[in-house]
Amino acid sequence: MSRIQAAAVAALLLPAATEAQELPVVKLFTTGGTIQSLGKDRLKLAEYREGRIDGATIVEAVPEASRLARIEVEAISAVSSTRMGAEQGLPLARQLMTELERPEVAGAVVTHGTTTLEETAYFLHLTVRTTKPVVVIGSMRPWTAVSRDGPLNFLGAVRTVLTPEAAGKGVLVLLNDTIHSARFVTKRHTYHIETFVSPDVGPLGFADADRVVLYRSPVTRHTADTEFDLDGIEELPQVDVVYGYQEASRAPIDALVKEGAKGIILADGSPAYRNAVLEAQAAGVVVVQGSRKGSGRVVLSDRTAARSEITADNLHPQKARILLRLALTRTTDARELQRIFNEY
Amino acid sequence: MSTERAFAAAGAALLAAAASAAQEIPPLPPPGIDLPHVVLVSVGGEIATGCETPLELAGCESARETFAPETWTRDLPDLGLVARVATEDLRAFSRADGSAAPEHWHGLAERLRQLAGDSAVDGVVVTHGADGLADTAFFLNLVLPTRTPVVLVAAQRPWSAVSGDGPLNLYDAVRVAADPAAAGKGVVVVANQEVHAARDARRTSAYRMDGFGSVDLGLIGVADPDIVRFFTEPTRRHTHRSEFELAALPEALPAVEIVAAVPDAPGRLIDASVAAGAKGLVVDGAGGLSGGQLEAVRRAHDQGIVVVATSATRGGRVPETSALSESGIIPGDNLTPGKARTLLRLALTKTSDPVEIRRIFGEY
Repeated sequence: MSRIQAAAVAALLLPAATEAQELPVVKLFTTGGTIQSLGKDRLKLAEYREGRIDGATIVEAVPEASRLARIEVEAISAVSSTRMGAEQGLPLARQLMTELERPEVAGAVVTHGTTTLEETAYFLHLTVRTTKPVVVIGSMRPWTAVSRDGPLNFLGAVRTVLTPEAAGKGVLVLLNDTIHSARFVTKRHTYHIETFVSPDVGPLGFADADRVVLYRSPVTRHTADTEFDLDGIEELPQVDVVYGYQEASRAPIDALVKEGAKGIILADGSPAYRNAVLEAQAAGVVVVQGSRKGSGRVVLSDRTAARSEITADNLHPQKARILLRLALTRTTDARELQRIFNEY
Repeated sequence: MSTERAFAAAGAALLAAAASAAQEIPPLPPPGIDLPHVVLVSVGGEIATGCETPLELAGCESARETFAPETWTRDLPDLGLVARVATEDLRAFSRADGSAAPEHWHGLAERLRQLAGDSAVDGVVVTHGADGLADTAFFLNLVLPTRTPVVLVAAQRPWSAVSGDGPLNLYDAVRVAADPAAAGKGVVVVANQEVHAARDARRTSAYRMDGFGSVDLGLIGVADPDIVRFFTEPTRRHTHRSEFELAALPEALPAVEIVAAVPDAPGRLIDASVAAGAKGLVVDGAGGLSGGQLEAVRRAHDQGIVVVATSATRGGRVPETSALSESGIIPGDNLTPGKARTLLRLALTKTSDPVEIRRIFGEY
């Protein structure tokens, strides 16, 4: 690094003569996932069951972040993302709201496993009433890996929280320098670094080496503008996803109705579903037509309207599930539910 | 069973209603129906072009005819279902390919400013050649002081083509212009059922149907068969939030040339541009400038010429590195060289201070 480059980086990272206690606070909530996981050696890129690091280790590994903000660490869980759900999501959302009310807190960073990261991020996007930035991060490579992405994702998230333009844009997801809206982002690859994408819509911006830039703002409802209220909510209604494919049988739908599911998201369909759906609806189960295609909206048609089916817009089935669970805390009216799917 | 029969009956009733509605669609809405008022302005383009045979897909090989905008309202009565459409023929402002000629950009913008500023107008659609559309759209995005939707639309195939995209693009453009949600989002480009922000829209294919995209970013909305739906909005300054005033612009904008930055390029193209009167330069490259070019940039800087760098990788910003800062070259963000040139020409009407121009490239 040339002397000028070093000076530029120092200027970027060190606000002029700021005392540590005057720095804004950034909360780091950890839930687990690859970013906190350890492999046997540094070439184990996709195998890492040798324990986990905690949030403090991440903060220590990236001292540049602590020159920008006082990082306060709080552990929510230490699990792989497939074990995450409302049980962790509800307390996480509540703690975020409590902490973000402190005036000295600029925003929050949440670590998460990547497989269901978009689900927790969307849940927070729909429930955390704040205009302060919340950035969910993960990593594609374990903490022990060569060319690990975790540290830079963490630093990018802290820089994004401290970017004034990031306020009011809802929950953000940052991996690989790219800032996505929780509403649109999805995991598109099993292990590459460039994995998180927002199909069709694209990212909102980038945490580039020189500055954090934001080009877009989501216009769907979220965070401060949400109608969903977690007060008094201890659990969420059961909603499951049924996958459509050639010759799919109606058995999964029947089983879910019997089990007491309150809602079902169809990821495409099957002729066998038609009667099963009518019977499920007659039993009071809400059915939402989604798509497994990965991009594009489910178009509202006379046919879906006649079937009292709600359409999932361009939400992926796993995200339509999150929205329906929250919507069912407020209404079971088909028209209201469709309004909610059109607005969020 | 009874539920199913009820469903079938409801479905049949809906289908019957839809069918009868389809038969009873009037060619234009009867007077008094409260539909949005959209002005459809023709600058020409493939969308206004008829070839002799329907298989001339990539432009006319045979004799071509560009037709008056009334042809659209006649061929596409469906427009009357979504808006009261008035037409205006501005083909005189276009070049042979149907794109607005840069010498007429000011005149076009002035007329669009009047239309968009008319309280009786809910939205404006401008048809345009696909080639120059992204550049015209960005210019308009920077100078039209309006919140009224202004939609640029093109077709990849002539109007006469089999499976032509023109009719649906035009119908979608009118729907977007008539949609209150399009207000305040800047000039937009509608093509292939997608809505793109003018700043980021690019031609992404010379003749296939996915002709426009927003590289690195993405669409801001869709014109789907059921509804127009916006997902995001651009945050960079535009239209009603722009500092560039149409009335204050000189007759001819300051000259800015584009130079390709390649490893062994001589400096003489830069020298020649400056000698010919360029007030600014856009250097477009994927690496750095050659030694000869850097020397020529130094000579240009000595004469007060402003130099902006864009990235020929066509994805990603030009980052502010210390090497770039030392050379005095201003990063062109993630703009294409053509759009960086337009922004620099407008910026130079207000200032030649590099600090100010750097701010402008960060804000627009």
